[in-house]
Amino acid sequence: MKLYDAFRSALQSLIVNKLRSALTMLGVIIGVAAVIAMVAIGNGASQSVQTSVLALGSNLITITPGSQTQDALRGAGPPAQTLTLDDMTSLKEQLGPTIKAIEAEQQAGNWQIAANGTNWNSRVTGVTEDYPAVRDWSTQSGDFFSDSDLRVNAQVAVIGATTSQQLFGDGDAVGQTLQLRQVFGQRARIINFKVIGVLEPKGSTFGFSRDDQILVPATTAQHVLTGRTNVVSSIVIKANSSDDMDNVTADVQSVLLNRHRISNPENADFTVTNQNDTLAALQGITATFTLLLGAIGGISLLVGGIGIMNIMLVSVNERTREIGIRKAVGARRFDILTQFLIEAIALTGLGGILGILLGWGITQVVARIPQASNLLLVITVGTVAIAVGVSVAIGVVFGLYPAMRAARLHPIQALRYE
Amino acid sequence: MKQFRPAVVQLRGVTKTYRMGKDNVVNALQGVDLDIHEGEFVAIMGPSGSGKSTLMNVVGCLDVSDTGEYILAGENVGKLSDDQLAAIRNKHVGFVFQTFNLLPRLNAIENVELPLVYGGDRKGRRERAIGALEAVGLGDRVHHRPAELSGGQQQRVAIARALLNDPAMILADEPTGNLDSRSSAEILAIFQRLNDEGKTVIMVTHEPDVAEHCKRIVRMRDGIVARDELVPRQRNAEHELREMIAAAASHVLQMPAARAASGAE
Ligand SMILES: Nc1ncnc2c1ncn2[C@@H]1O[C@H](COP(=O)(O)OP(=O)(O)OP(=O)(O)O)[C@@H](O)[C@H]1O
Ligand SMILES: [Mg+2]
Repeated sequence: MKLYDAFRSALQSLIVNKLRSALTMLGVIIGVAAVIAMVAIGNGASQSVQTSVLALGSNLITITPGSQTQDALRGAGPPAQTLTLDDMTSLKEQLGPTIKAIEAEQQAGNWQIAANGTNWNSRVTGVTEDYPAVRDWSTQSGDFFSDSDLRVNAQVAVIGATTSQQLFGDGDAVGQTLQLRQVFGQRARIINFKVIGVLEPKGSTFGFSRDDQILVPATTAQHVLTGRTNVVSSIVIKANSSDDMDNVTADVQSVLLNRHRISNPENADFTVTNQNDTLAALQGITATFTLLLGAIGGISLLVGGIGIMNIMLVSVNERTREIGIRKAVGARRFDILTQFLIEAIALTGLGGILGILLGWGITQVVARIPQASNLLLVITVGTVAIAVGVSVAIGVVFGLYPAMRAARLHPIQALRYE
Repeated sequence: MKQFRPAVVQLRGVTKTYRMGKDNVVNALQGVDLDIHEGEFVAIMGPSGSGKSTLMNVVGCLDVSDTGEYILAGENVGKLSDDQLAAIRNKHVGFVFQTFNLLPRLNAIENVELPLVYGGDRKGRRERAIGALEAVGLGDRVHHRPAELSGGQQQRVAIARALLNDPAMILADEPTGNLDSRSSAEILAIFQRLNDEGKTVIMVTHEPDVAEHCKRIVRMRDGIVARDELVPRQRNAEHELREMIAAAASHVLQMPAARAASGAE
């Protein structure tokens, strides 16, 4: 039998049993749509995690105080404040051109801000002058503070785009003054800062807006805001390249161990985190997540496949006489086999295509959910190809047994079937 | 004279046994010897259960015998695979069944085309199907589905299908069993015409009237050939059909007269 006739007869029989074909197909449609949507969501989550991490700056190595050993006693206490600005200066000198940039940060907590007659509340962080270089983050207006500002504990601030919008509206914030306030009972502490720059907007990372913050010189934070002099909460290094990061990590480790006079690296009082490792760990998690979602879709696809097999067995049974007639006029086993197999493949193939469309529709709906607004939903050509391939394969796998049963029927018994 | 023509069908000691469970054994054929030559028109008769259909199935390669030898057009059919048998059915045998056995979803053309779907070219297929339908007088019904045709018309579609691949023989198992006398006469007329053109026709029937349209009658009993005789005077279905039409027409013509007569009383 020519393929043309097989396709024609398959389509004819699908059209004759419209409702049944549609319901059977629905199983495959839902299965394929589930796989497509789930994998797209998984991929989207993975991509947004990656962009979130890289939005903090790329090729970053972060040093934080406290041990990374899993010692229960040590882990129970508060992290020791063992990192200093001197550590940073020393690293900068010793690592020299092997790194691109280095900066230190001190968290100064949340402050009430007043300016221009408005009140706001923001996170304040003390940073050093190379913060823009490390974070790949420049100002949209004004300038960042310099090392001379750090030397004199200048009361200058660089503020995020959102903070600027909240305090100064559409007007230019540069040159304006803002007040950081802390209230202790009746008394209030008020410190004036001059705004010298506004950062470019960057969006949020893991739910935190990165555009609502105030950066001040680290020394100013230490002396004027927190009183914790010399101490920093993290040192961040930008390596020259991603390949370089392991070397730099090792160098940082040895420089700091030396400075802190610790001989056994296991007793280190600081932790060096490599962004590559973080990325890899996060990607591992999102890959598992994607796999899990895909598996859920896969199970619905399997159920759809079983539906196909079921309906094909019914169809073969119903059409036993037809099979007998076809055999009587000369159909060979292979002819009958292909006829039913193509019917199954037509069902699943068409279901697969409709499923892709439905899956795409689902991602469009999901993309409109506000919580998923920054989730990049990715349907790749690969996903589509796999979905079509899998649905055709399901047609073959689940259609084969019914088709073989049809092909094996004895012509006389088939003709006599009531 | 017939003996000098080649034998299309040669059966030697053919047996067929059906087993249903351990004890229930039916010997449907118990050693059939039969020769049928090219151009013959044979009726197979016999009581119900005597093995007529079983014999037809073996002759038509729909089934294979258990023992014995069957040579079809010079080829020993006993050792062939299922697919080879399918090819023989496709090329050399045209079946006509009591229950028509048309595919209900297909129209007349598509039903008739079926043998060419499984053997032969797609080119010219449709034209040949229409030609075959015209040959059985259904040129105006080619797009009808079986459900839209009378029994006699359905059987003629089945004959057109049987003829399409120009087979060596037509096998008909009680082709008129479900038809009235008029439709039966039409079918028999077609068979006689085909036979006149040289086609071998083998037909199972219960009705002696029908059998008398053949040239030879083979009588089966208990799975063997009990009697084999020539028909002394072959009836002509074409004549009978014409008489029937004439009778029906005169009946219609007489109707108004009769009514007028009854009205005058
Ligand atoms: N598939 C089968 N399974 C079991 N027994 C069968 C089968 N086909 C036929 N038989 C038996 O074989 C015997 C011959 O059957 P067959 O159909 O050849 O008879 P027949 O002469 O055509 O009868 P009828 O005139 O009623 O059609 C019967 O006794 C029947 O019961
Ligand atoms: Mg019978």
